[in-house]
Amino acid sequence: MKHSLRLLAGCGLAILAGTAALAQTELRITHAMSSGAGSEAFNAIVANFEAANPGLTVNQIVFDDDIYSDTGLITQLQSNEVPDIYFQWAGYPVGRDVEAGYAYDLSAAMADGWQATFIDSAFSSGAGTAVDGKVYMVPLSLDVTNTIWYNTAIFEEYGLTVPATWDDFIAAIKVLAEAGETPIIEGNNELWPLGNWASHVAARVVDPLRYDAAFRQEISFADAGFLPALELMQQLHEIGAFNVDMQGLGADPAMAGFFQEAAVMHPIGSWLVGSEGDLAEDGFAYSQFDTPVIDPNHPAPDSVIGTITGFVMHAQTTHPDEATAFLKFLTSAESQVIWAEAGAISPVKGVGDVANLNVQMKGIGDMLANAKTMIPPPDTTYPVPVAEAYYQAAAYAASGEKSAADALVWLDETVTAMGKQ
Amino acid sequence: MAQGDSRVAPISTGARNILFVAPAMVLFGVFVLLPLATSLYYAFTKWSGYAEPEWVGFSNFTRAFADPVHLAAYMHVSLYIIGTLFLEVSFGLVMAVVLNSDRFGFSIMRGMFFSPMVLSMTAAGVLWAFVLDYRLGLLNSVLRSFGLDDWAQPWLSQSETALIAIMFVSGWRFAGFYMIIFFAALRRIPRNIYEAATLDGAGPVKQFFTITLPLLRHQMLTCVLLAITGGFAGFDLFFTMTNGGPFNATEVPATWIIRQGFDNNELGYATALTVILAVVVLIVSLIYLRVVERSDVVRY
Amino acid sequence: MSFATDRRSAGEWVQFVAGGAIVAAMFYPTIWMVLSAFKSNREIFRHPFGLPEEWRWGNFAEAWDKGGMGGLYLNSIMVTVVAVSLTVALATAAAFAFSRLEFPGRRWLYRLLLIGLLLPPPVVAIPLFAILRDLNMLNSLWALILPGAAWSLSLTIFIMHGYFTSIRPDMEEAAVLEGANVWQVFRDISVPMVWPSMLTLAIVNTINIWNELMFALLFIVDEDKRTLPVGLIRFFGRYSTDYAMVFAALTITTVPILLLYFLLQRHVIAGLSATSLD
Repeated sequence: MKHSLRLLAGCGLAILAGTAALAQTELRITHAMSSGAGSEAFNAIVANFEAANPGLTVNQIVFDDDIYSDTGLITQLQSNEVPDIYFQWAGYPVGRDVEAGYAYDLSAAMADGWQATFIDSAFSSGAGTAVDGKVYMVPLSLDVTNTIWYNTAIFEEYGLTVPATWDDFIAAIKVLAEAGETPIIEGNNELWPLGNWASHVAARVVDPLRYDAAFRQEISFADAGFLPALELMQQLHEIGAFNVDMQGLGADPAMAGFFQEAAVMHPIGSWLVGSEGDLAEDGFAYSQFDTPVIDPNHPAPDSVIGTITGFVMHAQTTHPDEATAFLKFLTSAESQVIWAEAGAISPVKGVGDVANLNVQMKGIGDMLANAKTMIPPPDTTYPVPVAEAYYQAAAYAASGEKSAADALVWLDETVTAMGKQ
Repeated sequence: MAQGDSRVAPISTGARNILFVAPAMVLFGVFVLLPLATSLYYAFTKWSGYAEPEWVGFSNFTRAFADPVHLAAYMHVSLYIIGTLFLEVSFGLVMAVVLNSDRFGFSIMRGMFFSPMVLSMTAAGVLWAFVLDYRLGLLNSVLRSFGLDDWAQPWLSQSETALIAIMFVSGWRFAGFYMIIFFAALRRIPRNIYEAATLDGAGPVKQFFTITLPLLRHQMLTCVLLAITGGFAGFDLFFTMTNGGPFNATEVPATWIIRQGFDNNELGYATALTVILAVVVLIVSLIYLRVVERSDVVRY
Repeated sequence: MSFATDRRSAGEWVQFVAGGAIVAAMFYPTIWMVLSAFKSNREIFRHPFGLPEEWRWGNFAEAWDKGGMGGLYLNSIMVTVVAVSLTVALATAAAFAFSRLEFPGRRWLYRLLLIGLLLPPPVVAIPLFAILRDLNMLNSLWALILPGAAWSLSLTIFIMHGYFTSIRPDMEEAAVLEGANVWQVFRDISVPMVWPSMLTLAIVNTINIWNELMFALLFIVDEDKRTLPVGLIRFFGRYSTDYAMVFAALTITTVPILLLYFLLQRHVIAGLSATSLD
């Protein structure tokens, strides 16, 4: 009898514990920060948030970057158990989410003084965080999606300096290649790492309006004048600029190769800084320069390629208030200092002055501040299949698989065959 | 395999007996036949997965037959299937003969030869990505340690070698499966046939071609069918090792479907591609079955 | 097991050496994987061959934690056990009916089932996603169990049907004469009779379902519901530059299965020989 009483009491406790667990509101947040300093900083902010809000727990659903953008996000958005908050790239993806009814209109929350805490350009018309004047994305980072990282020690060894023009750049590559170094390492098996850079190169040599029209399928890439851009890729291949396994290598192993001195330069985004701690040996010295000026007569000869990334609230979230509270917490000055110190450029006003920034991030910040034009990457601005086709054409030219002219023919045929996207 | 309708009298007749097959048919109907049927609808729509599907008639199909990568994918999968016939079926057959012995050590060798089959394709793909890596991989390390530096290749990064590399990995993984099938059949061949042939002066090679091969015809034909249908279903190894790259050189129908459907959000187009794949597999299999049916080997 | 014990002839030695060399070459990548799992990253690059300088068991603990291997194993086991039991049970009942009973539509239904033998699963991945969403099953283990079982049915029924037709129905007929109903015949006579075949088919299906990747990649989102193959892909994506971790994770996910296989080798091989359908 005593036993069964104790058993009953035990059940009662279990039930109580059960209801206590139910009273917890769970926020489902999905993103692609799977490792490095950024993910540690994000975890720290989440822990602070949970400590400050005892009734709320955050369930992070984390994917590796490539899987997130391939199948990870779309399967969740369509699922019957949607995430409350999801990571997204500003621009085309946000517009598509709005059209499909996945994105929650944050205008009301933003009007409440929240929007004023961000730098003005975070919500400018080209920023891609708002659609038809309504805000749908909470910006978290300004990402430079491509700059050229280089090993300063090896540059010094060969007496090289930061190239001011494309010709200087080519000359430096030739010196390195002749000395038996791998001048540039790129891990292009997913096509965007080189594609992104090749788009930046194209944006420097193609007339801006024609560049835009080609990606919108209004004129052909040939008519828009993309041949010189692909020829530059072919030129890099011909002088032996790239690692031979570029097309089969992943983006992360290529970055590891750069930090292990397997190559001298590595064109990739500002997020490289967040992986330094994991991948670089102590005392590894590196810096970066923007793609050198190619055509001084171009309207934007020294543009920077970059985008905003941030979080979108799902329109079907069952906890809009709690989700908003989290996003406000995430973009508070305190959280943003933690975030920026982990190697991000915060879109929140004043954070850059307070945070103790990594020297590399200062360099990126200066580059952004001095840039007159910011070009967004095509795969977050235009229909993805068109952007991917250009990336593929760039890969053809950059690996000698096709000549620049043939790659251009292939590109226009492929884009025509897919129909209007 | 011959089990058509030369059946004995049923022990019970009546509509109620359908209850025994009903659960299986329901499961099969909901998760195999229903999706097959709905794909016939989606295949005629433009559907991003975000907005509602929109009816577009045959345009997905015209696009599919003009899509160079899609057509190349069938080329690649055909090459892959031909490769598997050599590296899996034929190699498996040879190894079944080589490892057919009661001597000590052969049982464990058969076990080891078969063991890659137990590994998931994912594990096999990841493992081999490391074996074949250009800079740090095992294969190139072996070649360089023999002084064959020029032979070291970026195996998975160049279109000439990537598909072949995948075929070899596929052979590594599946040869054991075919070996076991042939081995089981070899065991049923009476020893005295070989003994008689030996007395007649036939060597092991001649015995293989005059006795073993003809007696294994049934298994050969089954294995070829398995290699064909299995080849068209090939996804995991391609997905983990190259995901269709470099330059779509290892793009097969399954990887291209997943890329179109989920990477490019073209679910309608991707579904049209799956319908084409289903039709192709059915036609190829039926032609094959029709051809071998004459020899009374495979009959449903 | 008994071995031939007389002295080996020269031909047999050639056979032994040739077989041994090929098998050793084929098995080496597996050994290399296990040995590399004990090494440090630096050692893997500098000394890819040979034994590790130091046996770093800690690598496994680290990979186990980082990869959440416990959860992955648990999910894989649940999916496999339920799906395989379901397939084998339903397939046995169906094969019994197709071979022993007569009912309207028998031949037609059997042919319909055989379509599944020829179709590759990628064919339905996308519409299946939509169906599972409508059934509210996405992101639950049922999304792997039910399609996994359904896609295994065709082959299992086909082989089981072969077993049934290879055995004369004398016992079943006798039971019917004694007044047993069809269900009793199935339960008391047929199932015990084909029980060994059910076990070997369970093993064959276990290999397939345990290793399934594509459905698991598309239908499951939550970290705590992922199965081993997807977990491994994610792990590889996340730690692609940490070779020692990847090898440790590979070893953790494969070696227990390999050991189990070597223990059950005879059953696995018997099961697979059965798929040769002769």
